[in-house]
Amino acid sequence: MQWITMFKKEVLESWRNKKWIWVPIVMMLLTMMDPISYYYLPEIINLAGGVPEGTIIEIPSLAPTEVVMMSLEQLSLFGVFIIVLTSMSTIAGERQNGTTEIILVKPIKHHNYVTAKWTAFLLLIWFGLFLGMLINWYYTNLLFGDLSFLTMVKIVMFYGLWFTLVLTISIFFNTLFKVPGLVAACTVITLLILSVINMIFGHKLTLFPNQLSTYIYQMIETNSISNQLVGTSVIILFLCGILLFLSIYLFKNKEVMN
Amino acid sequence: MAILTVKNVSKKYGSQTVVDDISFDLESNKCIALIGPNGAGKTTTLRMLTGLIKQSSGSISFLSSEQKDFRFCTGYLPQYPVFYNWMTGFEYLIFCAKLAYIDKKEARSRALNLLDKVGLTEAKNKRIGSYSGGMKQRLGIAQAIIHQPKLVILDEPVSALDPLGRREVLTLMEELKQEMTILFSTHILNDADEISDELLLLHEGKIIEAGSMQRLRNKYQSDTIELEFEKGTKNYISDIQALETVLAVTSNKHTIHVSVTEINSARKEILEAATKNNWPLVNFTIKRASLEDMFMKAVS
Repeated sequence: MQWITMFKKEVLESWRNKKWIWVPIVMMLLTMMDPISYYYLPEIINLAGGVPEGTIIEIPSLAPTEVVMMSLEQLSLFGVFIIVLTSMSTIAGERQNGTTEIILVKPIKHHNYVTAKWTAFLLLIWFGLFLGMLINWYYTNLLFGDLSFLTMVKIVMFYGLWFTLVLTISIFFNTLFKVPGLVAACTVITLLILSVINMIFGHKLTLFPNQLSTYIYQMIETNSISNQLVGTSVIILFLCGILLFLSIYLFKNKEVMN
Repeated sequence: MAILTVKNVSKKYGSQTVVDDISFDLESNKCIALIGPNGAGKTTTLRMLTGLIKQSSGSISFLSSEQKDFRFCTGYLPQYPVFYNWMTGFEYLIFCAKLAYIDKKEARSRALNLLDKVGLTEAKNKRIGSYSGGMKQRLGIAQAIIHQPKLVILDEPVSALDPLGRREVLTLMEELKQEMTILFSTHILNDADEISDELLLLHEGKIIEAGSMQRLRNKYQSDTIELEFEKGTKNYISDIQALETVLAVTSNKHTIHVSVTEINSARKEILEAATKNNWPLVNFTIKRASLEDMFMKAVS
């Protein structure tokens, strides 16, 4: 019951400060941009002018799967920024401005506090991701050709795991620091380090979290879920579990005010 | 019965000792003032009692141990309370009640009740962000007692308020005294004098004096009687000095300050002499030690 109270508070807070509006909208803009701009690229170039009469611009036609992958790349950059920006002050900010001074004196369990926040943000970003991929699926079908709805749902399910990991890293740093900017910086640096490790050792670490998008691409191409995809997903879930556990532990043993 | 026992508690930050080996008990249904100048360690002490920070050494124990989590029986108002400004006062109280495992129906009725008690009924559906300082302080008290704690800890509850807000909060505390133990900190001695039964004097992290108001009064009683005469004092000084109970006399044009050995017998002797010699007395005052005097004496 306490968990539900905390969870409802988080959802209501995100609603009142309009996160439930702008997060999905930005996600949708990100995923819409590629199919539409690629489709209208010849017109866009013409409108920009400077092209001599009679020039024929040949743009290689893209398969629907390639369009989806382009949008996923947008999400892996800007989508991740959105997650970091929306979640960077959820605990750190409350500690910095002092609202925790009242809340943590109530008999609230620390794991309820952390996991309720985590779940509320999870819901928000998965909702944004789903709407984003839905509109991407719509335009892909309209402009480039068939992509089954089921495939889109599978993409959301697997790609959502990456977002979940990003959120969990952000929550982890939230319990460590009480300056939101520092939380954001550390989250981004961690993601950069992960990506550098992946670039250098990726060929050996086949189940490294950053490999997820490669396997998702294979899934779209071959329309089957590979063992590597399942393995990577399990590793990501495992990492999230550990980080969440550490977050609760750190938060519980930390002096909230000093 | 003591509901809270603090034993040899210290708090160090690095090499700096903020609270230095303090021990005290809090009796149930008393109002205790924690007094000390700024930087004496009041807030640190209170935060240790709430569990927000941990003591470096020593023990803090709550005797009402029917609940495992002592936070069920303590309420706390920080010095600078910060709320969720996007919530309404009513929502915030319900939220706080539910965190203490009070069911929805009960939470609503308690919230409405308390809003009425602290005079926020009209503002209950307004966002907390639009509340004035006094309203926030009253909401802060309401959230501290919504789960009906045995001990409520208030950190400087009235220091930042204007005279009107101060009066409102003091009246509220007077009411709460009937139901629970109140421990509040202040550096304004008048407030402590007005509503507290007991005092804890904190100075540079140490408790330098503790006890009931009466006991401290007696201890630091200056035992001075002030006499005011109608026309000049010089004719009476020698008469007064001659009295048995008088220790020393200082005077100015209209008044004589008499230090005496013991108030009761001195009062009797002086009044008898005054009647017998027909002194033109305008004013006879027994000067009681003010909290300020006590504090200055205890510190020095």
